[in-house]
Formats: sequence, C-alpha cells, structure tokens
Amino acid sequence: MKAIEVETLTKCYGSARGVEDLSFGIEKGEIFGYLGPNGSGKTTTIRCLMGLLRPTSGQCCILGRRIIHGKATEHNQIGYLPGEFRAWPGLTPRKLLRLLARLGNGNEVDKQQEELAERLDLDLDRKMRALSKGNRQKVGIIYAFQHQPEVLILDEPTIGLDPLIRQIVLDLIRETAQAGATILLSSHDLSEVAAICGRAAILREGRLVELAPISKIVQQGQRLIKVWFVEGTPVPELLAGELPGVRVIQQNSNTLHVAYQGTIDALLKWLAQYQVDRIATTETSLEDAFIQYYRKEAGHES
Amino acid sequence: MKAKHRPPFPWPLLRFWTLRILPAWFLIALMIFLVQLAICGIVHDNERVKAMLQYIDMLGPYIKAFIGGDGLQYGDIAGLIAVGYQDPLVLLLYMLFAVGVPTALLAGEVQRGTMELILSRQTTKTHVYICAGLITVVGMYALVIVMFLGTVVSTNLYDFEQQVPLYNFFKLAVNGGILASAVGGIALLAAACFRRGMAVSITVAYLVVNYFIMIIAQWWPRMKWLDPVTIFNYVDGGKIFSEPGWPMGDMCVLISLLVVSTVLGGVVWWRRDLPL
Repeated sequence: MKAIEVETLTKCYGSARGVEDLSFGIEKGEIFGYLGPNGSGKTTTIRCLMGLLRPTSGQCCILGRRIIHGKATEHNQIGYLPGEFRAWPGLTPRKLLRLLARLGNGNEVDKQQEELAERLDLDLDRKMRALSKGNRQKVGIIYAFQHQPEVLILDEPTIGLDPLIRQIVLDLIRETAQAGATILLSSHDLSEVAAICGRAAILREGRLVELAPISKIVQQGQRLIKVWFVEGTPVPELLAGELPGVRVIQQNSNTLHVAYQGTIDALLKWLAQYQVDRIATTETSLEDAFIQYYRKEAGHES
Repeated sequence: MKAKHRPPFPWPLLRFWTLRILPAWFLIALMIFLVQLAICGIVHDNERVKAMLQYIDMLGPYIKAFIGGDGLQYGDIAGLIAVGYQDPLVLLLYMLFAVGVPTALLAGEVQRGTMELILSRQTTKTHVYICAGLITVVGMYALVIVMFLGTVVSTNLYDFEQQVPLYNFFKLAVNGGILASAVGGIALLAAACFRRGMAVSITVAYLVVNYFIMIIAQWWPRMKWLDPVTIFNYVDGGKIFSEPGWPMGDMCVLISLLVVSTVLGGVVWWRRDLPL
C-alpha cells in the first residue's frame, strides 16, 4: 500500500484547468519532490489531497483511504503546511498551535512543540501579528510536525527562512522520513529538493511531465565540458550533427566549450584525435535540468 | 484498510469562536439592556409619555410607523414598552450580530486564510458550519433573553400605573428571537455562498428591504397586501398582547425560513470549493 496515491486526478475551475489526468504514488518513508512553476497545479493537487477541493474526476488516497472532500479523512495522521501560512493575528504561537492540535487528536503535543520551537529558535509567546514572515513560517513548520504525523504535505516549507533555519528544517524533514513518515515536498527551491528527495514529479500546465528519481532527472539535463587544446594546435571544428546530443556553446583560439546529453563516450573518442591539454566538467544541477526540461517542453530548445 | 472513524465534534473550535465573538456579543447585549431601561424610564412617567407622543405625532405618520406605529398610544403601557423591542436601534443591534457573526466565522475565516488551517485538522466542513450556526442562533437567543431581562429589571425599578404583562413580553421576546435566528439563517446562507463583503451586503439589503416593506405596509393602507412578504410581519406585538396563546402560525413561518436557509446554506457550504 502506498502512503499517498493520486489516480487520474483532474481538477477544473470552471473552464480553467487546475490539474489534468495526474497519477502518481508515494511509498511509505519516501521524501517526494513536487516541482513546477507558478500556476502549474502543485497547490491544487495538494488541496485535493487534503480534501479542501473537490476533484472534477479521479481520486486521491492517503494511507489507503480515499480522500473525500470536506470530510477530514485521516487528517489526524497528516501534517500540513500550506503555501502561505496565515493565522489569527491576536494569538500567540503557543495558543494557536494548541488550538490546532486539539482540533485533532493532538492533546499531548506540548513537549514536541517546545522542542521544535527551541530547535527553530522561535519565541512561542509573542503575538502572531508581531512575528516576522520567517518566524510565522516557523510556526507553520511546528504546526505541521508537532503531532508526529505519518504523512507530511509541505507546500514551500522553507520560504522566507534564513539559510541556517532552512538547513534545520531540511534536517527535520530527513529525520522525520527516517522515522518512517512519508513526505510530499512541493518547492520552487530545486537545490533543496535535490538535497533531500529521492524522487520528484515535474508538473507543467497541470500535467505531469516527469516522474523519476532525482538522479535520473539530473542526468536528462545537458552537461557542460570545457576543453583546452595544446598551445599552437588549431581547435578542431565540430560540425552540427556530427556527434548526436553534442553542441558547441563557445569556441576560442585554444578552447572549446561544449554541451552534451547522455554519455560522454562519443565526445571523448572524438577529442582523442586531437592534442588535448586539459578538460573541465561541471556538475549539472537539478535547476539546470529543470530549466532545460521546461525549455524542451515549451519547444524552446535550440 | 483501516476502520472508518468519524472525526470528533470540534469543541475547541466552538469554544475559540465563542470567545472571539463574546466581547461583541456582550457590548450588543449591554446596549439592548440599557435601551429597555431607558424606554421604561420614559414610559413610566405620564408627563414624559405625553410629551414624547406629541413630539412623535409632529414628526408624521411615517416616522411614527418607523418607531412603533399604532402601539404608540397614551395609556397603553405594554405598547409603549414594546417600542424597546422594535425601535430601529435595537433592530440595528440585532442585525449587527445576525449579519456579522456568521459572515465573520465562515466567509471571514476563508478570506483570512485560517479556514485552510481549520479544515486541515480533523474538522469537517459540516462541523465548521454547525459551529457557526450554533454560535449565531444561541447568541441571538441569548440577546433576546437579555432584552427580556431588561424589561423585567425595569418593571422592578420603576412604578407603572398598570400591570406590565411580562408573560406577553416573554412571548414577544421568544418570537423576536426566532425572527432574529431566521435572519441569522439568511446570513449563514449568504456567508456559505459568497465572500464576506458580498454576504454582508446581501443580508443587510434583505433586511433593509423587509424593514421598509413593513413600514410602507403600515403607513400606506393601499400597500397592506405587502404585509405577508416581510419577515417583520411575523412578529406582531399587537396580536401577541391581545391573544392568550402563542402565535404558532407566525412562529412556524419564521422557523421554516430559519430551517430552509440554514439547510440550504449547509448544502452550498458542503458542495462548494472554498476560495482558500
């Protein structure tokens, strides 16, 4: 049984599309990245998973139970952090978190609350209206984690946080997954998705365009290689289409800057014909892969 | 597959919302109570009553209809005290509660973004709606009780030449409570359907139209046929004071309006995707 399962989910807002024919599953204990630009349907999917929106068709299941709109299915087992954490401004985080905990089965969360607040360096007794955006986000993180849920659905958890706290939150997510929780992490920050997620789904205009391990997504991106030829040796000309998946980005008097996809084997064999001084390669980031993915999907690839 | 379990009723949410509404409720209740004391303070003194009625007569039949109509007669103590139950200030205070509470609790929480937090816990949409409905209806009845208590306290504070029929005032208060709850039902329906500003506007517009229909029907005999159209027609002080029994027909109309609007609001609230 998968912890989270989305089956042919479609959500339309009148004539506008939210998400279309979305299917994926997340195994127990997995940290799953959910990527996509603004308006791609990430939040719509999450709200369908939380039962906050009624799907037009398809269904979502959490811990084996079908989510029914408005019925709070399995919500005592779900930790949820909305994309924009907004609360009653007159409450202190302590009172807010206690109230929200008591709206489930979380009467015994005080100890966990204190521990998390200490770890995130948050004062629980200042009014919400007096807190900075980052501190309000910390309250949201405590809210999601305080009742030790089996499933965590986090929409942009590190937004507005400083790098130090961001690292603490990522550690917290890792530890929670190691303890057996399943985590769906929606984010714009691709480096954090690459750092903690095993697999990721990429959404574009409401449709799933990729669902694969992070390493595979990164591999699909172009890599760069810079080649220095021995002084005085003419730089060889690489004709378009001569090597499949390879293209020249820049050529100088003794250097060649090349982008390639797939393995480097063919390129190395071609270079072996010439007098190469040295080679430098750069690691492709998920961000590069992501941007290239969108260019490719949007038909912008040169 | 896990066994199905029903989420528990969100008592903490009911308590939280009640505490949030309480200061406003208390202020409204205090004002309604003081209005009853003030009205009784005026009408227990014959000289003041004469002066007041002369002044009202000078203002014309329209204004007279606006603040009590035929009930405003010298010597009719009950009719004069009943002005405190239907004068525009008291009605405005009831309106504030009836319109403000459900729209603040449903549409207001949606707009603030806190409804997403509430619904992300073990709280169903139906539970949330029931909490808002309970606070509205119970709050209304509590206001009505305060209003009646104001009359009871006043009759002990001041001496009246005639016996004040407190039982009839109790009947009037209960009927008024049902009317106010029905307005609360309309506000719940509006809050379930629209954003806060729109919900408030629709409910206030509904009340204002009903109120002016009542005034026009009282003031202009040719428009008497409009009487059944307005909800205010179903709290008839004259009938309550003159007839020994309870106005069951009127109460049924108002209860029907309360039930229909509340249930309809609940269905819309349940079916609708909230603009979170």
